[in-house]
Amino acid sequence: MNSISLDQVGVRLGETTALEGISLNLGARRIAIIGENGSGKSTLARVIGGLVAPSSGSLRVHGVDPVRQKRELRRLVAFVFSNPDAQIIMPTVGEDVAFSLRSEKLSRPEEEARVSGALAAFGLSELAGRSAHELSGGQKQLLALCGAFVRRPDLVIADEPTALLDTRNSRTVADHLFLGGDHQLVLVTHDPRLALRCDTAVLVGSGRIHAVGDPVEVLATYERSLAC
Amino acid sequence: MLSLYRPGHGLLHRLPTGRKALLLMLVVLGLSFLPSTYWAAGLAWVVAVLGYLLGGLGLSELWRQLIAVRWLIGITLLAQLIFMPLEAAAANSSRVVAAILLAGLLVLTTRLTDLLAAVERGLAPLARLGIDPERMALLLAVTITTVPVLARLGAGVREAQRARGARGGLATFVVPFLVVSLKHADELGEALSARGVQ
Repeated sequence: MNSISLDQVGVRLGETTALEGISLNLGARRIAIIGENGSGKSTLARVIGGLVAPSSGSLRVHGVDPVRQKRELRRLVAFVFSNPDAQIIMPTVGEDVAFSLRSEKLSRPEEEARVSGALAAFGLSELAGRSAHELSGGQKQLLALCGAFVRRPDLVIADEPTALLDTRNSRTVADHLFLGGDHQLVLVTHDPRLALRCDTAVLVGSGRIHAVGDPVEVLATYERSLAC
Repeated sequence: MLSLYRPGHGLLHRLPTGRKALLLMLVVLGLSFLPSTYWAAGLAWVVAVLGYLLGGLGLSELWRQLIAVRWLIGITLLAQLIFMPLEAAAANSSRVVAAILLAGLLVLTTRLTDLLAAVERGLAPLARLGIDPERMALLLAVTITTVPVLARLGAGVREAQRARGARGGLATFVVPFLVVSLKHADELGEALSARGVQ
C-alpha cells in the first residue's frame, strides 16, 4: 500500500507542458527527485502531494487518488517547501505547530501533548512562545518540518528543503527528514549528498523521466547528461 | 510578526476568551460615556493601569504599549487641542488611549488560536448566511501573520534597488513589491493547502 504509482501522468500549466507521459512505481522508503531547474521535478512532487492536478493520466498515492480523495490525501501527506516564511501561518512557534492539528479536532490536553512532543523532537521547546518570524532561517525550516511531522504523516514530500540553509542547518534538517519516523520520503533536491542518502532516485528532464533506480547510477547519468 | 500574546497566569489569562472580550468591551464602552473632564481623564488612566495590574502584565508592559502608540497619542491630543479646550482634549485623548490599551489586553492575554476559536464561535450564526466562520478566522490569522512578512519583502525590494543604484521612489517600488507579494501569496496558498486547509 505504501507506494506511489503514476500512469501516463501529464501536466500542462497554461501553454507549457510541465510533465508528459510520466509512468512510475515508487515503493522505496526514501526517494530523491533530481534534475535541472525547470525540469519538472517540483511539479512532479506537487502532483504526488495533490497540490497540482494532472491534466492527463492517473495516479495513486498510498492507495489514495489525490484528485478524488483530497481529504484522505491531506491526512497522509505532509509537505515541506524551500521557503519556510511562506509556511508559517500562526504568530508563535507553538501556535504554528498546533495549527497543523486543527483538522484533527483533538482535545486541548491531547493537542498540547502532541505539540510539546513535536517541539521537543525538533529542539524547539524553548522557542515555543517566540514569534515564529523572528527565528533564524534554519529554525524556521525546523519549525516547518515540525509542523509537518506533528501530523504523523505516512508520506513526507520535501521540495528543496535545504536550499536556503547553511551546511549545519542543512544537515540538521536532512537528519530529521531521513531519521525521524517511519514515513516514506519524497525529496526534491539539487544536493547530490542528500540524493545519495535515498534508496531510489528519479531523474527528471524536460518534463519526462530520464532515469530511475539506484541513486549512484542515476546521479552518474545526470552528470553525463550535464557534460553533453 | 505581530506576536502580541504574553504568556502568564493572571486573572485575564484565565478568563475564557468570549467573556474576556465582553468584559473589556463593556469597560471600554463605560469609559466612552465619561464626561470630558479632568477627573474622567484620570479615571480612564486608573482603569487602564488597573487592567494591566489585574491582568498580571504589570506596568512595564503598559509602558511598552504606550510607547507603541505614542504617535497616535500625540496626533490625537494635538488635533483636539486645535479645536477644543485643554480639559476636553485631555479627557478625550485619555479615553481613546485607555480604550486602545484595554483592547490590547485581549490580544496580550489570549493565544491567537484561542482568539480564532472565539471568532469562529462568534461568527457561527453567520454560517446560515453562507459565511464560513472557520475560513473567516483563518483569514484573520493569515492577515495578522502576513503584515511583518510584507514589511520584510518591502525592505528586500528597497535593498535590491539601492544595491543596483536605483533611486527610491513610489513608482519604482510598487511593481517589484507587488510581484514579490503575489509570489508570497501563491506560496502561502500552496502551504495552506498542504497543511489541510481546503
